[in-house]
Amino acid sequence: MQTSEIKYTVPKSIKKDTVFTFCPGCDHGVALRLVAEVLDELNLREKSVAIASSGCSVLLYDFLDVDCIESPHGRACAVATGVKRAHKANGSDKFVFTYQGDGDFASIGLGESLHSALRGENITAICINNTNYGMTGGQMGPTSAMGQITTTSPTGRNKEYHGFPIKTAEHIALCDGVSYSARVALYDIKNIINAKKTIKKAFEYQLEGLGFSFIEILSSCPTNWKLSPSEAHKKIENELTKTYPIKVFKDIKETPNV
Amino acid sequence: MSYITIDKTKCKSCYLCADVCPKALIKKDGDTGKTGQATVRFEDKNNECLACAQCAMVCPDLAIVSVIKE
Ligand SMILES: Cc1ncc(C[n+]2csc(CCOP(=O)(O)OP(=O)(O)O)c2C)c(N)n1
Ligand code: SF4
Repeated sequence: MQTSEIKYTVPKSIKKDTVFTFCPGCDHGVALRLVAEVLDELNLREKSVAIASSGCSVLLYDFLDVDCIESPHGRACAVATGVKRAHKANGSDKFVFTYQGDGDFASIGLGESLHSALRGENITAICINNTNYGMTGGQMGPTSAMGQITTTSPTGRNKEYHGFPIKTAEHIALCDGVSYSARVALYDIKNIINAKKTIKKAFEYQLEGLGFSFIEILSSCPTNWKLSPSEAHKKIENELTKTYPIKVFKDIKETPNV
Repeated sequence: MSYITIDKTKCKSCYLCADVCPKALIKKDGDTGKTGQATVRFEDKNNECLACAQCAMVCPDLAIVSVIKE
């Protein structure tokens, strides 16, 4: 008798018949699927509150089968703080995570993000770093690399006029309230597997009550980069990882705060 | 005989699955999808599929709905 084994199926934490609204080849879709796979594996669907943000992932509540709150641009970590604390005060422990773009997390919302990290809020933040403001048409973001051409840096980002990009995962790692801070990428299978493990670890740190956990996902934006999906992945592998190394910058279990 | 199932209505023709398949079993199809480009088709005449699920892992649009190992 022939046996068959399911090697892959769409995660249960993705709503049935979901059609992502992202552009062709955009890494947002892979990132969200990995989040859903980890929610399934940790059995978190019924106890999670996802905090969505402004940007290409604004319709997150249509995709993930978890309770969801839409936050104003940049304010996801502040909203997550309130949700986590209010539930705790009522004796129910919710698993709370944000899903934000780099413009949202590291520019307009930098104050909220950084102070949530400093306070050691027991939440998890996921930041999709696609080095521009994707939804609004590819303007220069705080994360645009030196020399990067965007609609608002048509001759390339330069240090005299624009200054330098922010290395978010490195900065967040400096905050004592942080349990885990890492940067991952999705440009090949090895990195996708590593990204999923990292998301899982960050989620587990929240479940263990260790404080703010953070994952920066270096992602493609083929449309605004004006590259094909596979060329965009090559750009990440060959160029962007030089500015944004794939690394764990803080793991409180290995290097406790002094 | 291992196989994958593709939901063509979700395919946005990024071809990342075709690039990653170690056995080159995913090819452009005659049909055009929502982007106006050719969608993809799974063709495995010699039963070569490894059920490695790399295609499903790279697909950003949940268009590969299952990977079955037999
Ligand atoms: C207060 C406020 N300012 C500006 C906007 C317009 N806006 C919507 S999405 C967006 C850019 C989001 O970029 P990012 O956070 O990098 O996410 P991406 O779209 O690249 O995933 C902006 C500026 C807004 N919605 N609210
Ligand atoms: S604009 Fe960029 S980030 Fe937004 S969906 Fe399109 S490819 Fe993805």
